[in-house]
Amino acid sequence: MRRHVPNILGLILLVILTAFPFVYTGNDYPYVMHMLITAFFYAILASSWSMLAGYAGQFSFGHIGFMGVGAYTAALFSHYIWLSPQPTGLCTEYQIGGHWLVFVNAIGVTSTTLAQDCLHTAMAKWGESVQVTPMPVWLGILLGTLMGGLFGFLVGVLVLRLRAAYLALFTLGFAEILKATISAEIEFTRGQAGMEMPALFDHGITLFGHHFTRNDKLPPYFVMFGLLLVCLLILAWLAHSKFGLYVRALREDQDAAAALGVNTTRYKVLVFVITTMMAAAAGATQGYYVGIVTPNSLFLLQMSLVVAMAVIGGVENFVAAAIGAVLIEFALEMLRNSFTIGGFVIDMTVWRLVFFGLLLMLTLRFARNGLIAPIIAYFARGHVARETVAKRAAPGSPEVVE
Amino acid sequence: MIHLSVRNLQKRFGGNHVLKGVSFEVNGPELIGLIGPNGAGKTTLTNVLDGAITPNSGTVYLNGERIDQLQPFEVARAGLGRTFQVTRSFRRMSVLENLYVPALAMGRPGNRHEMQEKAMGVLEFLTMDHLRNEYAQALSGGQQKLLELGRLLMLDPDVVILDEPFAGVHPRLMEIIYAYIRRVNEEGKAIIIISHQMDSIFSLSQRLLVLNFGDLIADGPPDDVKRDPAVIEAYLGTDEDEDAVPRAEGA
Repeated sequence: MRRHVPNILGLILLVILTAFPFVYTGNDYPYVMHMLITAFFYAILASSWSMLAGYAGQFSFGHIGFMGVGAYTAALFSHYIWLSPQPTGLCTEYQIGGHWLVFVNAIGVTSTTLAQDCLHTAMAKWGESVQVTPMPVWLGILLGTLMGGLFGFLVGVLVLRLRAAYLALFTLGFAEILKATISAEIEFTRGQAGMEMPALFDHGITLFGHHFTRNDKLPPYFVMFGLLLVCLLILAWLAHSKFGLYVRALREDQDAAAALGVNTTRYKVLVFVITTMMAAAAGATQGYYVGIVTPNSLFLLQMSLVVAMAVIGGVENFVAAAIGAVLIEFALEMLRNSFTIGGFVIDMTVWRLVFFGLLLMLTLRFARNGLIAPIIAYFARGHVARETVAKRAAPGSPEVVE
Repeated sequence: MIHLSVRNLQKRFGGNHVLKGVSFEVNGPELIGLIGPNGAGKTTLTNVLDGAITPNSGTVYLNGERIDQLQPFEVARAGLGRTFQVTRSFRRMSVLENLYVPALAMGRPGNRHEMQEKAMGVLEFLTMDHLRNEYAQALSGGQQKLLELGRLLMLDPDVVILDEPFAGVHPRLMEIIYAYIRRVNEEGKAIIIISHQMDSIFSLSQRLLVLNFGDLIADGPPDDVKRDPAVIEAYLGTDEDEDAVPRAEGA
């Protein structure tokens, strides 16, 4: 019975998080919902990184870069490709059925003041008579996810012979190069100005007879929550399949796994592709939710945050990593409130990161498996030692014979 | 019929010529001891045979298939399995999971139930069934050696290379390893044992290969090898130092 406790608690948590948007009525509803959506976003990153680093032992510091690949693919897709019922005569365009697929020219960050791109020039000419439509958001997320997988594949192949610190440095280099490239390619990516993205539900959405506007938090809440659940289900399925067994063997001893018939190359690349696709999907979805993506989202600090969330939760258990991400996101928000001690004002906007760093250091020192993972392990594996002792004491056991 | 053919294997690491044209054949379920002083090239030979190291020249054929250019996992699937000099169990995986890895990689037995049954049978043979759910890191050094042997039973290769299977093992566990070797050999597999424990090697082996500085200096029945002057000079000792030979004879 005890070993089912984590599953039961997980089910209760699932019910609470599903019901929360309907039952919570506080004045800070949008703020709390935003925090949860952001927490789910980080939970996807932390849990997928946990599969990559904790299960497979591939200590990639480029995970946030793959998130950026997803976000920027979706942003570029939404920014540069449109559907028009009429040809612009100015842009590169292809007729598809009754519509025209319009590729907008890149003009950098001067679009609203000094110059117009070809589509806006055409729209100014058309007036209200022609309505162009952006590409579907779901297609942007799908493309972002696939592009993340492609980059994951390429990086996975490149790091095949790298281990430990070399792998970490290589992937860190990848993320930094990506950030620098995005910052430098101002004409295409608008550099530090970032790229605006349409909302997840730009025209709102009607669910169960209730219309939600583009600014309502409930639809994006369930989109991000749903994505998190899908990722966790995929990770759970993988972890309990031979894939999970092989990648853990890979983590423990790559040469020994290969000597036992495991195609280590395939599984090393596969784990990169799968987890980077998850990070990219999260990045694209978050981009649409926030409405803008900038190179700042790829800062090393963001990667450190994801690593810290996974480590504090428990890097060798993706559920623990996800829970750790949610808890840390809330804790960081809660710690924003400054307070006074004996006349001294503690500015928590600064000190919260110090507390956070302290928590990380204490976790690494005293609980290397994180704070959540040992609790899950207590319930899931607590019976093992008792069983071993009982079997050893049984008549006929090798210890007794001896 | 098992047939391993090693022809003129050469391996250099920089200026260090570790294997200088090693050739030998294994025909059928032979029980072979591979001995040689430290630095003779025994572990390098093993690494070349299992695909971890690509030779500079020479060929290795297993049952008619050339394996010297294959990846280690392909060599394992072709039918050559090995243990390591320093035990390399999957420490943060349970004992059963350690056994499932090769079984799943080989795709046999066919279904999960059969695989579990086979794994339990292996653990009972190794007297480790009570430890099946423990992480490998909870096992003693000797038990981890047994676990490596268990993984090979699940892999079920035609040729088994055991690298120092007796090193640092308690006598009771040594008996289990002897039983393991006899069982695998009776099942029709060829076994190559690398060891510095002369008593064990001489008592178990039907044939001895002796490596010295990358050269195969002897290949034959243990009694003949013991009297081989080149072996005596290179490894077992000179006429003035007769300790090694009488110890081996007494094995």
